[in-house]
Amino acid sequence: MRELSLHILDIVTNSIEAEASRVILWLEESVEKNLFSITVRDNGRGMSQEMIDAVIDPFVTTRTTRPVGMGLPLLRQAATSCGGELRIKSRIGKGTTLTASFLHNSLNRSPLGGIAETVVNLIIGAPDVHFLYGHRTDAGCFTFDSYWIYARMAELDCSQYMLVEPAQKWIMERLQSIASTA
Amino acid sequence: MASSRERDVSSVCISDILSDVMAKVPRDAIWITNQAHENVIAIAFFKELTAVIFTNGAVPAMDAIDKANIKKIALYSCDLNAFDIAGRLYTLGLRGSY
Repeated sequence: MRELSLHILDIVTNSIEAEASRVILWLEESVEKNLFSITVRDNGRGMSQEMIDAVIDPFVTTRTTRPVGMGLPLLRQAATSCGGELRIKSRIGKGTTLTASFLHNSLNRSPLGGIAETVVNLIIGAPDVHFLYGHRTDAGCFTFDSYWIYARMAELDCSQYMLVEPAQKWIMERLQSIASTA
Repeated sequence: MASSRERDVSSVCISDILSDVMAKVPRDAIWITNQAHENVIAIAFFKELTAVIFTNGAVPAMDAIDKANIKKIALYSCDLNAFDIAGRLYTLGLRGSY
């Protein structure tokens, strides 16, 4: 995909469809370690090893064996073409942790793209999910909690839609403050 | 590499962005790409494409070719670049669709 944010949208959508009530998105970009990584951890229904094998196999097509689309094969290809890998750990009934890593300096790596927009849209679209987004660079880190939106809704007595722009702006300012270049 | 029965060709597309092909290309199209990943063949199967032409001599791994054979998708590998392959197909009367 053109932007890694689209992959993030896809993975987190999988988590939400797996009935997660909590999703943690952790992004790490380090020039020093030459690493860019995306980790999504959820407390959804989890997958058996068999199902993990099925979701990363692009040729498994039947809807019964394949709960998701081509998203994970494409993400795995994106990671491996950048000298990285896709790792999935899951336990039935406990949740799933997925990490896609990339060499930071790989020319094949798509830009991260509109991460602030992606995160805020995911939160607004799944109000029952507690969402935590953390982002670390060599210069520092920040976290954004979906509670940020709900606390302000109560405080300002407004709808969540009024907070889309302020939330995106807040995230973009933090990205700037840690000198994110992804 | 892999061959299939005679089939219609609806149009031709050039893309190395697999998700774009997944989203936009109509069935029975020919897909020109430099990506020789097995995901290309899986998408060609999903989208019921007629053929995939790999540019600049790119060749998929053997097990991906086997999968294409099973799925009856014609694969071609050509030393030309995408521009020249498309030019030849254009002179044969084929056109793009998006």
